[in-house]
Amino acid sequence: MDNSIKRKLKAIFRGIEISTEKNGRLVISVPMDSTGDVLKSLKDQGYIHLALISCVDWIDKEKLELVYILSSYSENDHIILKTNIPRKKLDFRTVIDIFENAEPYEREIHELFGIDFKGHPRQIPLFLERDYEIPPFRKDFDTRKYVKEYFDEIPFVKEDK
Amino acid sequence: MDRNVLTKWFKQPQKMGNKYSLWAVYFCTGCGIIEVPPVITTRWDAERFGVIPVGSPRQANLFLITGYVSLKTLKAIIRTYEQMPEPKYTVGFGSCPINGGMYWDSYNTIKHLDKYIPVDGWIAGCMPRPEAIFIAVTHLWTLIDKEMANGYKKYREKYTYYRKNQERALGKLAWPPLYNINKRNG
Repeated sequence: MDNSIKRKLKAIFRGIEISTEKNGRLVISVPMDSTGDVLKSLKDQGYIHLALISCVDWIDKEKLELVYILSSYSENDHIILKTNIPRKKLDFRTVIDIFENAEPYEREIHELFGIDFKGHPRQIPLFLERDYEIPPFRKDFDTRKYVKEYFDEIPFVKEDK
Repeated sequence: MDRNVLTKWFKQPQKMGNKYSLWAVYFCTGCGIIEVPPVITTRWDAERFGVIPVGSPRQANLFLITGYVSLKTLKAIIRTYEQMPEPKYTVGFGSCPINGGMYWDSYNTIKHLDKYIPVDGWIAGCMPRPEAIFIAVTHLWTLIDKEMANGYKKYREKYTYYRKNQERALGKLAWPPLYNINKRNG
């Protein structure tokens, strides 16, 4: 079954790399522009459940990696789809039109990594209370400096003795 | 009953009543709350010590902070603490409220709880055993006897400073001050 998906995707899309993990699971690396189309075609092939969108900051390679994990009820299998976004221009398209449950995941990634999902209906804060100059899950966010500035500066309430 | 205790009961019945009926707010923060169900159920039966959980802060006088305190939780903690009637006692449970614990460099977790509300006692450990809650409760009895568990009095006296710290951490607060704020000191 996996081979047929492999062949189909390779025939339709250019520039995608497909590798197989030890347990036979497919890992697909996709260029930024064709992510939506690949997701759509995978959805047509039975991978109808978007289990997770995750984000990894590869600061040395100057890019952020988005990871989509799809699962299929008919195949009883997962597919991992990865795409890279350059750190200089963090724009990407939303996939809500394909998978509706992407909304909170994208909102979270927007808040914690600062990726702007074009076409997302409400990119408003989900978890955080404060404004951060750099989104806090990025590698260049200095947590120790931040803690020193904001939490350690607050003084203890002294006791009279 | 010990004869000493009997005289205490006649002298200050209200204090003794408070002491032996510490009702805890059922307020869950972080992972420490997982220790509370065995404490209040038959395995360790906290009612032997007069500790029972209550759903509303209006009937409670013991506040257990059972884990890390994020900024959003801090808001809820302050509101809950201010709703409790006096006398009220706070116990920080686990190492996270003491100094941040394993969240010492986290961007969204406060490090020292006693900067924002007064804390009468700490239970160190990650996690403390359920027995530690009873040690804390019995220790709190001693403190109440010696009039040393006076965090709520401190909160009233130093409210200006506490409120200032709370505003520094959370920005502008959505609720009015509980006590008068001394503007000259603050």
